[in-house]
Amino acid sequence: MRRVVRAALLALAVFAGGAGGVLSLKAQPMANTVPMEAWNAYRDRFVAENGRVVDTANGDISHSEGQGYGMLLAFLAGDRSNFERIWSFTRTELMIRDDGLAAWRWDPNATPHVTDVNAASDGDILISYALARAGAAWNNPAYTDAARKIARALGAKLVVKSGDRLVLLPGVMGFSAEERKDGPILNLSYWIFEAFPVLAQLAPETDWVKLGTSGLDLLTVARLGPAQLPPDWIAAPARGPVSLAEGFPPVFGYNSLRISLYLLRAGIADPQILEGFRRNWLVENGGVPAVVDIPSGRVVTPLTEPGYRMLGALLACALEGTAIPQELRRFEPTLYYPSTLFLLSWAVLVEKYPRCL
Amino acid sequence: MSLKRAALLLLLGGAVIPAIAQQVQLPVGEAPTAGTPPADARPKVDESALRYFASQGDTRRLEAEIARLRALYPDWSPPADLFGPQTDPDLERMWTLYAEGKLSDVRSAIAARQAADASWQPPAELVARLAESENRRRLINASDAQQWSTVLRMATETPAILTCANVDILWRVAEAFGKTDQLQRALDVFTYLLTTCSDAAERLATIQKAMPVLNDEQLKQLLALERKDAQGQPEFAPIRDELIRRRIGRAAENPEYVVSADDISRLETVARGGDTPGDPLLLGWYLFRHDEASRALDWFKLALDRKGGAKAAEGYVLALNSLGRALEAEPIAFEWRDAAPENNKAYLDVVISLLTAAPPPVLGETVLTRFSPVVMRDRYVPGAQALGWYAFNTGQLVVAQAWFQTALSWDPNDEPSSYGLALTYWRLNDAARLNALVQTWRGRSERIVALVDPQLRATLEARNLQGRIDRTTDPLVAAALRVTPPPAGGFAPAPAAPQAGFQPIPAQAPTQQFQPVPTQAAAGRQPILVQTAPAQSAPAGRSYAQPTSYRESAPAPAPRPRAASGSGSVRGGGAAALSRGWRLMELNRPIEAVSAFDEAIKSGGRVAEEAAYGKSLAYMRKGMTNQAQVAAVEAPQSPRRAMQLTADLLAQRAFEFYKDQRYVEALISLDELARIGPEQQDHMMLRGWCYYNLRDYRSAERIFRALAAQGNTDAMNGVSEIEFARRLYKRE
Repeated sequence: MRRVVRAALLALAVFAGGAGGVLSLKAQPMANTVPMEAWNAYRDRFVAENGRVVDTANGDISHSEGQGYGMLLAFLAGDRSNFERIWSFTRTELMIRDDGLAAWRWDPNATPHVTDVNAASDGDILISYALARAGAAWNNPAYTDAARKIARALGAKLVVKSGDRLVLLPGVMGFSAEERKDGPILNLSYWIFEAFPVLAQLAPETDWVKLGTSGLDLLTVARLGPAQLPPDWIAAPARGPVSLAEGFPPVFGYNSLRISLYLLRAGIADPQILEGFRRNWLVENGGVPAVVDIPSGRVVTPLTEPGYRMLGALLACALEGTAIPQELRRFEPTLYYPSTLFLLSWAVLVEKYPRCL
Repeated sequence: MSLKRAALLLLLGGAVIPAIAQQVQLPVGEAPTAGTPPADARPKVDESALRYFASQGDTRRLEAEIARLRALYPDWSPPADLFGPQTDPDLERMWTLYAEGKLSDVRSAIAARQAADASWQPPAELVARLAESENRRRLINASDAQQWSTVLRMATETPAILTCANVDILWRVAEAFGKTDQLQRALDVFTYLLTTCSDAAERLATIQKAMPVLNDEQLKQLLALERKDAQGQPEFAPIRDELIRRRIGRAAENPEYVVSADDISRLETVARGGDTPGDPLLLGWYLFRHDEASRALDWFKLALDRKGGAKAAEGYVLALNSLGRALEAEPIAFEWRDAAPENNKAYLDVVISLLTAAPPPVLGETVLTRFSPVVMRDRYVPGAQALGWYAFNTGQLVVAQAWFQTALSWDPNDEPSSYGLALTYWRLNDAARLNALVQTWRGRSERIVALVDPQLRATLEARNLQGRIDRTTDPLVAAALRVTPPPAGGFAPAPAAPQAGFQPIPAQAPTQQFQPVPTQAAAGRQPILVQTAPAQSAPAGRSYAQPTSYRESAPAPAPRPRAASGSGSVRGGGAAALSRGWRLMELNRPIEAVSAFDEAIKSGGRVAEEAAYGKSLAYMRKGMTNQAQVAAVEAPQSPRRAMQLTADLLAQRAFEFYKDQRYVEALISLDELARIGPEQQDHMMLRGWCYYNLRDYRSAERIFRALAAQGNTDAMNGVSEIEFARRLYKRE
């Protein structure tokens, strides 16, 4: 087991150190991995005129994660104009924290709109990562500069030592070992591995490679319950085993199900870490991911929307070379979250697994 | 306008935020001083904004823009074709979007055009205006989210937004300075605003905004910038009283602040002239918190009369209470108890201060009967505890036990209640339960453990001897706080009998035991027992004689209680036995009297009460204080008499302990005695001799000197004894 993980880590390290970082991004093919037509459909449905990405399944609120996804998708679609639109809203409405991170929650029906000024690290990672890639690809130093500020703030505030590990706190307040006796409380789906090499270029004072290896380590030990899947929220004390975090639903749910996508996007097709996903999705549930109760291993809610099924199809493609089924080869926006996952999956298929298309 | 803006930029760089001035990037096209174009000035004047305003027919902004450009570029004059068609429809659309506040759309349009035409650059004016507008919004968002550093960063990045046209932004920046402990800079911003901006309403609002930010001294500096309004009136007059209220309000919350007499008298005038309760209430709280409870009371009263509601009632009650008029306060406190948590608290405090007053006051039955349900409902531990002390101090030990136990059933870790319970067990001579209770407090409460641990007791006693004489009586806690460990090991086995005569009081209805104190039972509290002490009270083993004459101040043997002799309720066999008992007492045959009283006790009721009292006195006559204690609780006594009995017993014990050279225990009994009434001189003398024998000469001397100063010759002897003893020990 260690061997496999180490091989995966090596891949990450090579990516991190490889070919001049940000510059190497520039050297990447400019071919848009998200088709413009699909992106336009997504944008029409979920991006408001003022650049706000609307979470249609959550009372039409917005959050730093959604803004980051929107910026990343706009970048992947090569849409400079709408990238700028979304960033403009993000900067003006969310980038208001003293520490340089984004406030995570914005509610159109509240005054003031920011209803929780805490940060959410996955949102900040996505925003910084999208800015860095756009800055490099479109030769926009202002983007790179903004990306760097966020990356530094992330490293300073949210990447912390925990025993031998380097971990990513989900937010600035409420998750650390100081604040919770079972802390730190972690969310392994906040580790967006593909961003770490880029963040390492922007904020080299933080050891992003080690953050990545700690994340993979945690993923190997956090396969809990009969289904051997990582829960959305784990308690990961520096000493002692990883367990379900108290006060959070004990499920493999909407958070964790994107982990396989993130791993594959980062080029970490680790069969061992992915085994739980494979068995649960592909073997036991006919390619349909589900919310799974960790203690019992039982399926709570099968997730049949195309965006979720696409996660299963991507996994089958990556592990078994299975072609993407015909019905998943066209994009139709449903809800914000699965639609986002769909396009991000599509982008990685185009980029890394064209043989499945 | 341009000059004003330039002035502001100077001010921002020079005064408001000098530390960050170097980093201030002026918007492109803006020069820090009017008239000199910057070195890297663009060769061409950017006229796009001008053209846009012209196309919109917005003459106000057009003129402003012309003035601005003229100030920047003295040689420039407006183009002749200003009102002609725009040459760049795309740019015009961007300005339109900008004017509509669609900032993200402008950004998006600029990016789209740059994507199509890499060489195209947006007009600097548009970029600057866009940045200003975005940063203005961002600043407001950050301010709403209390992210003060971001607020200041936005202001620094875009000083152009700090103008009289944006007073709200200036207010927020001042607040951010205030919140980041940069009061002087906050003052600078407000000062800038009042020296530069002229909108009357905004100027007045500025003072209001400054009030929560600045301190009084700084506020005074701001007020000095006051101008006259159109009618020649001082412009801040409408908020002068508001400022006084602020000063008084702040000082009312923090007694360390004091306001001037002028402020008070002005607000008093306003308060009297008005018909609302607000100002009287404010005055009430200020005066109350500045130790003028009696003036405060009048204002609270007025506030209450003006329907000032719960807060007025609370103040009124607290003021009365602090004036020692808790009895008056109780009814109104009770009436308002459910209005607010504070009122409930005030009510509980009032009754607690009544219950724990020393000596215990005569309380009407209603006070107790309506208090205990509130205590029960709220499961209010201090309330139950206070009821325990009241019962304890009025000699109703079984009731005291019930209340302390009730308090502990709600909070088993309430140390004062446990202490009360332990003392009660001690009084009841219940060694078994006392020991059991002590076990649970070992390592947690010294004074409880000290009740059975002579060594610890001596340590605590030594530590606490200081300041005994002028000890203050702190309402609730005082009853419990003092270290008064009773003798350890001095227990006679507690007879089972007294318990048998009583039903444990159910926690639900403990107050039934409280009887209103009969007024005729005002027997003088003469220590009937003192005469047993003298013979052996002189300490043995000293080569020098210790004065014992203080004994002589003790009164003659106690007369038979008046209440007993005159009582018409004494009847039948029990009554006969009772009068036989009293006769035997008069013949000084106490042991025989005990039998007679025993017989009388069986008949119950009033007779039993008398008989128990008599029996207790009989035992005391024989120096059998433990038995006397037991006898005293064989029948319920009226609080006043129970207190009397308790006092007698304690005095008796004190003398006995002294006689046995158990000085610490004697002191404890004297402490107990002092708890239920002012200490008499003979008891203080005894206390002095206890200290003397414990070789605590300092404490002894203080007592003797205090008494000597009142002309007590025995005390003078004590002083010279101490001086002698000190010389003696020095030689050793």
